[in-house]
Amino acid sequence: MLMECRNLWKTYGKIIAVKDVSLKIRESEIKLIFGPSGSGKSTFLRCLAMLTTPTKGDVFLRGECLTRPDVDLNKARARIGFVFQHIWLFRHLTALGNVELGIRHVLKLPKKESRERAMQALREVGMEQWASHHPAHLSGGQQQRVGIARALAMHPDIVLLDEPTSALDPELTGEVIDTLRDLAREGITMLIVSHEMPFAREVADEMIFFDEGAIIERGSHEHFFTNPESERAKRFMARLIKRTKRE
Amino acid sequence: MLRGVSTTLSISILSLLLGLAIGLPLAFTRVYGSKLFQILADGYEKVFRGVPELVMMLLFYFGVGYYMPNPFKTAFFTATFALGLRSAANQSQIFRGAIRGIGEEQMVAARSLGLSRLQSIIRVMVPQVFTFSTPGLGSEYALLVKDSSYAFIIGVLEIMEITDRIRKATMDTTIPYLAAAFLYILLTFPIATWLDVWGSRKKKQLGL
Repeated sequence: MLMECRNLWKTYGKIIAVKDVSLKIRESEIKLIFGPSGSGKSTFLRCLAMLTTPTKGDVFLRGECLTRPDVDLNKARARIGFVFQHIWLFRHLTALGNVELGIRHVLKLPKKESRERAMQALREVGMEQWASHHPAHLSGGQQQRVGIARALAMHPDIVLLDEPTSALDPELTGEVIDTLRDLAREGITMLIVSHEMPFAREVADEMIFFDEGAIIERGSHEHFFTNPESERAKRFMARLIKRTKRE
Repeated sequence: MLRGVSTTLSISILSLLLGLAIGLPLAFTRVYGSKLFQILADGYEKVFRGVPELVMMLLFYFGVGYYMPNPFKTAFFTATFALGLRSAANQSQIFRGAIRGIGEEQMVAARSLGLSRLQSIIRVMVPQVFTFSTPGLGSEYALLVKDSSYAFIIGVLEIMEITDRIRKATMDTTIPYLAAAFLYILLTFPIATWLDVWGSRKKKQLGL
């Protein structure tokens, strides 16, 4: 098992953000999480990446428990790629600088090798000709492709993507989706929070419906589009289909 | 008179740098430090912002300075220290505002790559912090130039002390002070403005 979480909880005082979630992801698998906004999907993803400490429960990466107190979290985080909804590139660095930072100062590769590996990652997302540009001079879609390259360049075991296209203008989501499709073809393990349903049908091995901090239902794309079982999933799918048609 | 200008400028710039060297770590301590260090840093700020510069300078020169080894007990050094230590408290506040302006997101993004907290501060936060603190740093510099005039009370040969000597020699009580006022404006205004312009240009470059 590549990544696993068991009975994961995250609470803020009385508010329960993540409620008893268990999930397994195998090598090269792609799982897609969807559900209403505010349902705890992002918090769940951040707990898996150990960017926030879960209140209860365990996270395992290749069998190694990350929720034990003696784990070097910096090392663990370096093995988990994270792509943010609002991208969050380092503003003071160029595209290349953004991708290079982790390789150079976390993996501590020599300068020349870092540069080559960063350029390689930029090439994979089709951004190598923009290497010397600052984020402010890139479009949203280009920025997110750099964001993906930044995560990929670390050669992580898994990449977690938190609504990678939802902050972009509709005409810019295509290029990011194309990039993700390429990664899927390369067999990169991914857990994606997204509502891009056509893309999900193409790449997702499993879809997970999330609501009120918990997994409500799981199944294939077809399952959700033909006969979702739970009332909540039914309602959500109806709304989603209506919105897709309107678009 | 020219010698006075260069002394004023030296005191101001040295104390600005001293304030930077202490104020920057202080600001990051207050935001990211452990509880104990946060309280200590907060205490430092409160003390040094609460005591009048004049009191501080006299205390440093006649009090603390008395126990110091030689180069540190000179009036020039004590004036620089007194100004620099207070500037650290001010700059800490300026930088703290800047850290908030940069946003927690940059920190989270850095940590997600596996950078330690210290690495994230050095590689991601510090390079952006000056861009976000320019108007504040400009006025802090101007404040130091002006407050360096207190050093005249302990006999540093800066603009005020020299002005006073000229006043005594010429018995003219207007022109020397007007000249001093003009010199202070000349020393503060261009640099503070330049910092402001640099800051807004830099911000534009970062897309802010």
